[in-house]
Amino acid sequence: MTLNELQIASANAILFLAFGCFLVVAARNGISLLQLLLAAWVFATRTKPGRSSIELWRRYGDLALPVSVIAPAFNEELSIVESVKSLLSLEYPHHEVIVVNDGSKDDTLGALIRGFDMEPHERMQIAALQKTQIRGTYRSRRYPNLFVVDKENGRKADAANAGIGFARTPLVCVIDADSIIETDGLLRAAEPFMHDDGRLVAVGGTIRIANGCEIEGGALRRIGVDTKLVPRFQIVEYLRAFLSSRVANAHTDTLLLISGAFGMFRRDVLIEIGGYRHDTVGEDLELVVRIHRYMREQKREYAIKFVPDIVCWTEAPANLAGLKGQRSRWQQGALETLQRHRRMIFNPRYGRIGMIAMPQLILEDVIGPPAEVIGYLVIPAAIALGILDPMMALAFLGVTVLFGTGLSLGSLALEEVQLRRTPTARDLYRIGEAALLENFGFRQMNLIYRLRGIRSFLRSDTKWEAVPRIGFNQPS
Amino acid sequence: MSALLVFIVSAAAALVMVMLFGILLLRRWYQERCRQGDRANLAAITRSYMRRVAGQIDEDASAKWSDDLRLAAVSHIHLLLRGGERHRLMQMAELDGLLRATLAKSHSWRTARRIDAIRLLQQFGSEACIARLREIFSRDRSMAARLEAAFALAAVHALPPPRETIRLLGIFERKVNRLDRALFRASAPDYPEQMALLLDDPISNEHRALIIDALGWSGDANALPLLEAASRSEYPEIRSAALQAAAQLALPSVEPWVMERLQDPVDFVRLQAANCCASLGLNDAIPALHLLLEDESLWVRLRAEHALEVLQYQWLNLDAKGLLA
Repeated sequence: MTLNELQIASANAILFLAFGCFLVVAARNGISLLQLLLAAWVFATRTKPGRSSIELWRRYGDLALPVSVIAPAFNEELSIVESVKSLLSLEYPHHEVIVVNDGSKDDTLGALIRGFDMEPHERMQIAALQKTQIRGTYRSRRYPNLFVVDKENGRKADAANAGIGFARTPLVCVIDADSIIETDGLLRAAEPFMHDDGRLVAVGGTIRIANGCEIEGGALRRIGVDTKLVPRFQIVEYLRAFLSSRVANAHTDTLLLISGAFGMFRRDVLIEIGGYRHDTVGEDLELVVRIHRYMREQKREYAIKFVPDIVCWTEAPANLAGLKGQRSRWQQGALETLQRHRRMIFNPRYGRIGMIAMPQLILEDVIGPPAEVIGYLVIPAAIALGILDPMMALAFLGVTVLFGTGLSLGSLALEEVQLRRTPTARDLYRIGEAALLENFGFRQMNLIYRLRGIRSFLRSDTKWEAVPRIGFNQPS
Repeated sequence: MSALLVFIVSAAAALVMVMLFGILLLRRWYQERCRQGDRANLAAITRSYMRRVAGQIDEDASAKWSDDLRLAAVSHIHLLLRGGERHRLMQMAELDGLLRATLAKSHSWRTARRIDAIRLLQQFGSEACIARLREIFSRDRSMAARLEAAFALAAVHALPPPRETIRLLGIFERKVNRLDRALFRASAPDYPEQMALLLDDPISNEHRALIIDALGWSGDANALPLLEAASRSEYPEIRSAALQAAAQLALPSVEPWVMERLQDPVDFVRLQAANCCASLGLNDAIPALHLLLEDESLWVRLRAEHALEVLQYQWLNLDAKGLLA
């Protein structure tokens, strides 16, 4: 092969790669656009929920199924009492709070015992789904609907499983220790169960970022937007993910993820499938995929729904160091789930989940990140080799940025028109600004973190990197 | 050339995007600026209505107040008032023409807007509102709107007899959900006899259980013989519904047949019986509940344990009160 032929072959290969990357990017953007349009239609035609919690309570007070809120806690000594008080004060006719102390190294259990006048109490565990030892169970002398499980450390999935095993109510709501539930969040999330004819097994809700908000006594006092860019970028991401993707996916019965920060499930179904898996770092995604798989293999009619209203606020990583661990873990978790449930992919037996949702997950988490990296490398190479017009490359970059920003602003507009939880016009502007700026650096950093997640997956890394939190009400 | 075209199209799209976002920002900014004034107006409207409701002279009333603000004020005050005061408030709101806009909204082509209007009509609760709600309930093309209208009518005790409700909502032609159950329960105090008559129809056990359950919410002691008969039905769903109804009626004469169900062959009926004993405070059931602690069904054991805890707590409370007396 002559040098000239080699040059032509490499140019063709580069063009081929560039075209492939373009197709992947176009497919992802096309899907996102469809999701945004579908979500806009869903929002425009939906019946708005009752304006006030009083209205909700009046309507559903007698109908609401009892719920156990399961709150795994690890080293939460300083905040656990306030958090539990906030959970106990949630507006719901019949709810029990089950706190699972997951082998905390600090005095989380002592704080609970002192704070709520707890006493040891034997309670039969209906299903032992956890892998670790239960050290003791406690009930409060003052709050009959508070129950504490003390167990050896075993990560969130294990703690949640222990709590599910002790729950006696038809519904369980699994949350993160740092989740701040809206006072009427439980009622709103349970609303679909009131209309249910027995098919509904799980409900997810919109989650917003609490960084920059004023939190007092474990409850949200004032909504705010963080001045730092990293949390603001994540607000944009959450708006896209929850108000666009999940609303659309739920509408088309292809919802694969109910966030670990807040999810309501039928207890019996969780027990039937054995609860959360312990051997994955993406247990929330894996759980919902496994519910789909189980119900379809059993040929049972079922539904998984999503409430577009904000039910919960959560603290996001405040800096890139925190984000790195979280995003790597999400990527690794998605790949683990895909690998474990690979027989569902393009399998008509699993209906829309096999034919639409799983391939979409592949596009997003398997093909997407490498294609994006190749795109970033190949385009400069093509320009250097003279096979791509620099102006054309710039135009392509412009279109990509424009498209990404447009999708983010579309989600922000949905939030503003339908939910309106952004406090001021100034905050709205700051989120809009982040929607544009995230294209220049943040998305690329995110891509690197995702590649790190792919590497961890390939190495079968089981290490859990805790996301560093700065806590609420820290000066930003 | 093609790159230039892409640039031009992108620039145009970016411009449109910026303009739309700008409009969104301006809209929010304008609303924020008006908010202070709106708050003051809302307080003034509230004061004005409160004075009128109390029969005092209202000197602050302004023709500049918008219907939306007046409606917001009325919706807020409505939650705070009761009986005659609430009725007078709603009359005044109607006289001010607020109902007109709501009635117009109830004819919107969008189901979501009609449902919003139904909720407001329920608040007003006047004859005109009830007439419109009945119209929606019987003729609306959307089942969601009809169901919402049914709930609104139930809230103002204006739901038609159960047979009509069943026909219009097609309740017996589909699977029963919790909202149907709530509707039946809400309807039962107004139509206990019609409910009882429905039991003579050839209906499924699921629907029969639904009616038996609703009878418990009728507050009518005449339903007791029906409940007792239902507690001996050969279908466990009906026996279970009879127990739920008995717990709701809370009349002492149900004790013998409720305790009989503690030995029911079906576990969820025993479970319901244990619940019922706890709700009714049947201390005579304590020995039988102790036996249920060894039941083969885990859930029955748990409910029996809970019922015993409740009864023990009630007993301790009575004891303490006795000591204090």
